[in-house]
Amino acid sequence: MLCMGMNTPLTRAQLLVRGGAAALAGGAALGPLAAEASAAPIPAGDLAYVRLLVGAELLASDFYEQAITASVASPAVAKYLERAHFNEQEHYASVAGIISGTGALPATAADIDFSYPAGTFESESSISKLALQLEDTILGAYLGALGGIQTQSLLTGLGQIAACEAQHVSYFSTQNGGKFFNLSFPPALTIGQASDALDAYTS
Amino acid sequence: VRLILSAAVAVLALVVGTGGAVAHPERSQGGLIVFAGSSMTTVLPQIDSGNTYSFGSSTALGTQITNGAPCDVFMSANTSVPAALYAAGTVEQPVDFIRNTLAIVVPKSNPAGITSIYDLTKPGVTIDEAAPSVPVGSYTVQVLNQMGLNSAIQANVVSQETSDANVVAKVALGQVDAGFVYLSDYVINPTQLTLIKVPAWAQPKITYALAIVTKSGNQAAAQAFVKEILSPAGQAIFVKDGFLPIAAPVPTIAKVVPKAARPGKNIVVSGTNFGTTTSVTFKGVPAKFKIVSGQVLKVTVPAKAKTGTFTVANPAGTASRAITIG
Repeated sequence: MLCMGMNTPLTRAQLLVRGGAAALAGGAALGPLAAEASAAPIPAGDLAYVRLLVGAELLASDFYEQAITASVASPAVAKYLERAHFNEQEHYASVAGIISGTGALPATAADIDFSYPAGTFESESSISKLALQLEDTILGAYLGALGGIQTQSLLTGLGQIAACEAQHVSYFSTQNGGKFFNLSFPPALTIGQASDALDAYTS
Repeated sequence: VRLILSAAVAVLALVVGTGGAVAHPERSQGGLIVFAGSSMTTVLPQIDSGNTYSFGSSTALGTQITNGAPCDVFMSANTSVPAALYAAGTVEQPVDFIRNTLAIVVPKSNPAGITSIYDLTKPGVTIDEAAPSVPVGSYTVQVLNQMGLNSAIQANVVSQETSDANVVAKVALGQVDAGFVYLSDYVINPTQLTLIKVPAWAQPKITYALAIVTKSGNQAAAQAFVKEILSPAGQAIFVKDGFLPIAAPVPTIAKVVPKAARPGKNIVVSGTNFGTTTSVTFKGVPAKFKIVSGQVLKVTVPAKAKTGTFTVANPAGTASRAITIG
């Protein structure tokens, strides 16, 4: 049920290989966002939002990588962790591509040290619990960006990512005993709220 | 009162040290003459107390060296000033030796109730920062631009200083509501200040570089001092005082032999920067590995490995390569 890659259909093996390649590219654009970045100047306020989203995707990728490495999830959940990891890597490549498209360097995994509450990776339930918190925050960050970003040409791509993150929220909501569908209007976070929430996971 | 006095003394010591007017003892008596950014005021004497240190703005110290001030080793809070001196032939090839993080400090009592960098945009908040001509000031502007906050926050800046130490002193004395400094400035003053983090996603890359002055008559001693700074013991003292170690280079994978392997079998991975490898994983499944050298890893394919990619990780990052299992 988690979101597809941008050039679907691909086999699972192709997707995984491409996910690895995306991580290696460290900012190479997979989606339409980088092309938009190089097409017209992007206001500083919009780039600030995008930098926040780059940080959010790095956090999500790091979290899923650690969750997968912990090897405590059942096969049924593990496949969703892998899929979510892949999605976040594609999202990172796309939003980082916006920054690269302006001639600047996007943040990479080596730039940020993430930290998580003690015991996060000790069980499937603790992983699912934090996954839901993170995905909720990241969805809120994208929704806030959609409301705050002025560059119209970026909105479709960011909206696609928000839709994917909402799927992540839905899956981990059920894993935590919640509902597939919840709020009709999930809350959008201001850039300050999103930044403060995400920074709780950095050391 | 004691806190205020100690802060005042610290500022006085800094000003005296920065001015360059202090008569340095003979090198044989005072060790090397080291010019260093003021953020290293506390840490360097812990590493080597036998030198004569002059602390101040890295930019100003660089100018003094250019103008012929006697100096053996220059330790800058950025890489650009040593690079410029190297280009001019004034210093030897610079070496990156430590990193730092930008932070916000507020007085312990935090009268403005600041809990986030975004609070600094509120009307009436008073902020101190270093001038953009000194490294910590340029890093501040860089962060605020990255966050789209520069205009809003600069409107609340009431003073610009010549060093991070002066910003620390003003905040500690409660003369302003907040100031931009290095994390290391907070770590050595935790009783007087409260730390507010600058978001990781907006942090600039703050790398310090050092260089031996070309005209130094103490080349051998200077090289020994540089080794001391770069040694694990020297780096540990920096880290204790809130600095970050220089990141290890990211690994790269050049070749895998064989290209296909069964679970339980060994593969040999050739590449670079394997000396600090922390994990090897096959689609998330951890593998046993042995560091043969910085260029070679011996990896045992785990029982649950499947065709896809495997990943080599070290503290600086990861490298991945496709592999066929079976």
